[in-house]
Amino acid sequence: MELALEAGRGLPTSALRETIHAVGVNEASDGELIQRTGDGDGDAFEVLYRRYARPMFGLALRRLGDRGRAEDAVQETFASIWRAAGSYKPERGPGGPWLYAVARNAIVDRSRARNEPAVETPETESGEPGPPDLAEADWVSWRVHRALEDLPQSQRTVIELAYWSGLSQSEVAEYLNIPLGTVKTRTRAALGRLADLLEEEFG
Amino acid sequence: MTDKPDFRELVGDDLEAEERARLEQVHDLLVVADPPPELPPSLLEPAAEPTGHHLVGLPRRRTGALLALAAAIALVALVAGYAVGQRGNAPFPSIGTVKMHGTAAAPSASATIAVGERDPSGNWPLKLVVNNLPPLPRHAYYEMFLTSDGKPAASCGTFASGERTVTVRLNVPYNTRRYDGWVVTRHVRHSNAQPVVLTTFKSDSV
Repeated sequence: MELALEAGRGLPTSALRETIHAVGVNEASDGELIQRTGDGDGDAFEVLYRRYARPMFGLALRRLGDRGRAEDAVQETFASIWRAAGSYKPERGPGGPWLYAVARNAIVDRSRARNEPAVETPETESGEPGPPDLAEADWVSWRVHRALEDLPQSQRTVIELAYWSGLSQSEVAEYLNIPLGTVKTRTRAALGRLADLLEEEFG
Repeated sequence: MTDKPDFRELVGDDLEAEERARLEQVHDLLVVADPPPELPPSLLEPAAEPTGHHLVGLPRRRTGALLALAAAIALVALVAGYAVGQRGNAPFPSIGTVKMHGTAAAPSASATIAVGERDPSGNWPLKLVVNNLPPLPRHAYYEMFLTSDGKPAASCGTFASGERTVTVRLNVPYNTRRYDGWVVTRHVRHSNAQPVVLTTFKSDSV
């Protein structure tokens, strides 16, 4: 924030105001962004979108199992957020879980509208995960995907390659054409940053 | 290759116990989380007007820049003057060629796109001759895109590259006037890291 103000010292007043506004929006918590969205702040809405589009698409894809329907569900979810942001009460909890609830409800509504249950309730016991397990898995993926959005691209890349592309640290180094030590440094920094974010729960 | 990374390999042995436990909790979450999905083009930008509700104050899109850059491909491919590019082994009657150069991710790579004549259905056949692309790990591939505002926008197809020179036939079923160039990106399974390795743009800032 100080840097942005420092850099803007020579800017015209309007440009300085825009710089401060942009930095303020990007650094705001999810809860603050929801409140500002409720006041009609389109910039705040756009930052929320960038933070949550991927987690929401992941959740919708997982629940609906179809990319086309998941895309529609994400669009509807953000329309719901725009409409409902004014009802968000920060004293009841941070913004991340509120957004998750809105997304989950929009996805379930979409399934119901087509008479297709989002999550089948098994009539007999099976080895498959039941609804509580699926809900827990949804929540874990949501939190992880959201936290990844806040990582610098260089750190995010090493995490994705290590955890979901099955590459060893040496293979990541070879793939990105960077030293192994750099991969290890970035990986450790990324895990530390993710730990911070997940502990904050995006409040 | 391994299915799940070994936590010890990731962080080493020199962490304090408390920090180690903190990072291991994150590791455990990453292991059970689904891979983050790749966003489809329709979700890359927020809708300007969510269904039935006008969003007052949303930033205006960069339509002006897009319009200003439109037709560049047509200029390159079509105004080339119906030069006949007959490179490669099989004859390929082309109406023009476009050069690509390697980015920082593949500095020694280069390529030539020969653009064929549009067929009555609207397909533009392409012949892509690629040199010196780095070898790919398993479950990886290259993909060529038409770009819009310098960003990958419409796929022209995928290919692998295991040799020094590779020639592949691709296709553009789009109205090329909407686009401003081409790039080739590298993809690995479940990774959102898709570095641009070849580009028609002078700088690598894609």
